Amino acid sequence: MKLKQALLLVLLAFVPAIGQAIYFHDKVSWQTPVAASEMVTVTQARAWGDNATWIDARPDAEFAQDHVPGAILLNEDRWNELLPQFLVVWSPEKKIVVYCSTQGCNASREIAHRLRTEAQLQNVFVLEGGWEEWVKRRDEENAQ
Amino acid sequence: MKTQVLAFTLSILLCASARSELKWEQTQLELHPAVGDKVAVGHFKYKNTGTAPVKIKSVHSSCGCTTAQTQKDQVAPGESGEITATFNIGDRTGTQVKSVTVETDNPAQASTVLVLKAVIPQMLEVQPALVYWQGGEAPKSKTVSVTAGKDFPVKQIKVTPVSTDFQVKVSKVGDGEFKVEVQPRDTAHQMVATFAIQPDDSPKAVYLSARVINSPPPTTTAVKP
Repeated sequence: MKLKQALLLVLLAFVPAIGQAIYFHDKVSWQTPVAASEMVTVTQARAWGDNATWIDARPDAEFAQDHVPGAILLNEDRWNELLPQFLVVWSPEKKIVVYCSTQGCNASREIAHRLRTEAQLQNVFVLEGGWEEWVKRRDEENAQ
Repeated sequence: MKTQVLAFTLSILLCASARSELKWEQTQLELHPAVGDKVAVGHFKYKNTGTAPVKIKSVHSSCGCTTAQTQKDQVAPGESGEITATFNIGDRTGTQVKSVTVETDNPAQASTVLVLKAVIPQMLEVQPALVYWQGGEAPKSKTVSVTAGKDFPVKQIKVTPVSTDFQVKVSKVGDGEFKVEVQPRDTAHQMVATFAIQPDDSPKAVYLSARVINSPPPTTTAVKP
């Protein structure tokens, strides 16, 4: 009897799950999926030192306000103009670290995706937490 | 006890009668901007079909590339209005999906997500956007494919400017498909060139970079924020 009840509960749990799968099957995720291996933390990226090129995927105005020292501006607002400027200084030996404003922003994922597919670059990483996390780390260190 | 029950019933009835609701014409919009359009604008129309006013507390978008504005902060019963979402296309391509969240003081409808989908046409696609040679590598030609978007009948393309460092040869390989072969003069020196590729009858260009790289060995100095 208990087994029957358990089975019934499992079957009932499938109903909303199937409904959700049908309803959301064509819904697009807000964030471009990024494999865990393509993400990098601030600590890891900073440890790469001069072997990393930092890409700022935020809008021009935010980059002008402040950015990671040495970072290169490359956003989708002016991709056609900025990509050739980046490719002139790009070095195949260096890893590329792309960041945008926060953990929730999608611009860094989009830029990383376009660098991999359109320019066919390798070793492109997205910074976890973005600029917000980088600033947090900087402030913590300055406070020490 | 009777008074308490009556007061409770009355309060329920009052709450129900003072119902407020924003009824949206559409919460999802699909836009098809033309080539060269700078922005795509979506109008999300609503009407307050309830009997109490609705206060729009905030309107915010999922991305810095989209701005959203409300016509009014307070919507009276029976009144209509709209949220305007402006998506800055820039150099984005393909299908872009952005959301706008509208928050109101109506607890039954505290938050509504409006979805703006923009299908951005691409006249030419270049693959890859970069060809490069390492110093000392054989200076053989490398091939880049250029494909016209399905709605663009591109008969011929041109590649500019003429470079003394790189030789460029364009050939048509199919309907709207082209092959661009790039060859460096030599690979003994660092060289760089950026070529604009565009249809013969359009100023809209995509870019191709070519480089001969003599990379210095990587160093390991840590960057401090």
